[in-house]
Amino acid sequence: MQRQRPLLALIIVLLIAAITVITTIPIPLGLDLQGGSQLTIQVKPTPEVPQITERELEAVKKVVEGRVNGLGVSEALVQTVGKDQILVQLPGVSDPQAAERVLGGTAQLEFKTQKPNTEAQLFALQSSRSEQRAKQDELRKGGDQAEIAKNQAALQNNNAAIAELFERTNPPLTGRYLKDANAEPPQAGPSWSVGIKFDQQGGDLFADLTKKIAGTGRGIGIFLDSELISSPSVAAQYATTGIAGGQAQISGNFTLQTANDLSVQLRGGSLPVPVSIGEIRTVGATLGKDSIQRSIYAGVGGIVLVLIFMVGYYRLPGAIADVALLIYAILTYATFALFGVTLTLPGIAGFILSIGMAVDSNVLIFERTREELRSGKTLYRSVEAGFQRAWSSIVDSHVTTLIACAALFWLGAGLVRGFAYTLALGLFVNLFTAIVCSRTLLLLALQFPSFRKPQLFCPNLPTITKSQTEAQL
Amino acid sequence: MTFSVIKQRRIWWSISFAIILGGLISMAISWQQLGAPLRPSLDFVGGTRLQLERDCSVATNCAAPINLNAVREAVDGQGLTNNSIQIVGKEGLSIRTKTLDVDQRTKLQTALTQKIGSFDPKKTQIDTVGPTVGKQLLSSGLLALLVSFAGIVVYLSFRFQSDYAVIAIIALFHDVLITLGIFSVLGLVLGIEVDSLFVVAILTITGFSVTDTVVIYDRIREILHLHPDLPIQQIVDDAVNQTLTRSINTTITVLLTLVSLFLFGGETLRNFSLALIIGFTMGAYSSIFIASTLLCWWREQRQSRSVDAAV
Repeated sequence: MQRQRPLLALIIVLLIAAITVITTIPIPLGLDLQGGSQLTIQVKPTPEVPQITERELEAVKKVVEGRVNGLGVSEALVQTVGKDQILVQLPGVSDPQAAERVLGGTAQLEFKTQKPNTEAQLFALQSSRSEQRAKQDELRKGGDQAEIAKNQAALQNNNAAIAELFERTNPPLTGRYLKDANAEPPQAGPSWSVGIKFDQQGGDLFADLTKKIAGTGRGIGIFLDSELISSPSVAAQYATTGIAGGQAQISGNFTLQTANDLSVQLRGGSLPVPVSIGEIRTVGATLGKDSIQRSIYAGVGGIVLVLIFMVGYYRLPGAIADVALLIYAILTYATFALFGVTLTLPGIAGFILSIGMAVDSNVLIFERTREELRSGKTLYRSVEAGFQRAWSSIVDSHVTTLIACAALFWLGAGLVRGFAYTLALGLFVNLFTAIVCSRTLLLLALQFPSFRKPQLFCPNLPTITKSQTEAQL
Repeated sequence: MTFSVIKQRRIWWSISFAIILGGLISMAISWQQLGAPLRPSLDFVGGTRLQLERDCSVATNCAAPINLNAVREAVDGQGLTNNSIQIVGKEGLSIRTKTLDVDQRTKLQTALTQKIGSFDPKKTQIDTVGPTVGKQLLSSGLLALLVSFAGIVVYLSFRFQSDYAVIAIIALFHDVLITLGIFSVLGLVLGIEVDSLFVVAILTITGFSVTDTVVIYDRIREILHLHPDLPIQQIVDDAVNQTLTRSINTTITVLLTLVSLFLFGGETLRNFSLALIIGFTMGAYSSIFIASTLLCWWREQRQSRSVDAAV
């Protein structure tokens, strides 16, 4: 009893912690369960950009993020996957038409000039735009779809109105002339700036453009996918030559963060890499709910069958393994919440499957215990020996399954990864519950004389050994 | 109750050989008919699949049952050939075509709505997979399989000996080949397709099947350690017998959850759980009947060779 007490306390504490975690941290559902669209965007290399590096992928992601924001979907998620893919998740979108239309295609970056006498108008539009943006962020947290759509429309009108105030240069100075853009640390004062660099032809066009508006108070309009991302003005000193040499610096009230954002946007817009939609998965919300319902049935059905089998076959230890199994289910679910696992259908399948596998260690241990009992050892010793001698088999079998999991995880596209992750987490929790929990509980049960009967562990034990065992006890 | 796996090993080997051969023949036929050893789903070959269900809350929308000919007309009207169209349940429709872009798909949906009534967007499922994504999935799946095989060989050589490891991998190949073979037959006979979850299932079978083998190996090693002079045949037989109940019971508990998944888990998980049911059953079988007898055979060979050398 003395040795079991701290372990028992540990188990109880963990259980309480797990239940607290489960009730406080909700587990996010994958799109296949809550309904929504998932688009995988493939970034393709071109002769100019033969290899997609992390820096390029990040820049393209920025462009995609900008386009996704324009859709006005709450809780949209954009992330890079592997070397050349970007994953866009749009919860609640059952028809991804609009998304498909805006997400494909190469980014359109263009430098334009502001039309004369539009300064006041631009100022008004820009300030109302920033208000609308702030409102949009606020609304997305609330999730009122109708309001979001309304504000989104207003925002789009505003963007279109802003675009009206600028005119295209001839020939247009587009992103393909831009070679690079970088955030640059402050020279004097606290503000960061963004350095841009054009190629030969772009440098000439840029000099022309800047010459035209230098000192007028009007700005250069830098547009990414028809949305104004920056509108710097040009100082009067460049009125005769323009900003020549193909290099310029955009300064303003930039922090490191905002300077970085702008330079990544510019880089994204300068990349001539086409993006195409490689995969679309859309699941209606009702279908998702059905899947949740079904997996609950399957999970409960599976657990109940296993519980009955264990108690039917292994008697008292089986009942204890059942308790350990329930602890396993609770702890594993809490681990999912803690590790931020998103629950997908294959993930649930992995979880249910792991319930069947979780009792494997107990089966090993109890079979060993029975063997020891049959060979005439006392009950207590048999139980101890069962745990000790099954140990190496348990470790080996866990490690081999983990190797397969690691391979699955490494292979890793969305669905597959979710499955491997839940299965692997389950295996770790299982090491604890199958060995520590069931051992502690079993030894605890042996404290009670009424449980100290070998028949409860192994029915049909040969009578000779049984009487021996009882005599030894 | 003890039985000898060693005595009848030729029977077990022939059974396995026959099943694997059947599977290979089926894959060859499938290769000729479908261009792939197993019937590939959208995930591998690319294409668009629309699963639609009519919205019966709209009055008179579901008055007439879905007319398959009208659907076919609408689809053919878009200039799409080689489609498969199925009516699912009473109001559901499943259409699979080549990869459609957003305009083509919208047009098709509009045409269908005009012919047979409007659909419930909440019950719609649309999958579009570009042709390159599928190839990527296949190659990374095979790569993951090889990596996990290599990982298992390294681990088992380290924990046991290299001949144990090699034979465990042979048993693994056996399980995977049989599962592939059975799904190839199912693809030919019932039109069951393999998707990305099937790749997951195969990898899971890999992990589980070795687990079973390892438990028996563990016992062989233990008996070898306690009684080094027993003949290898008896050691293997004893080890199999002593772990038999465990092998059966573990497989039963896992199969219980899988059967539950198969029955209640819904369309998506049905073939996945079926693959696992077949693979896990084969895993238990091969651990008891194949891995053990092969190890025994190998050790016999080595012994007689070393005896020859001594002479």
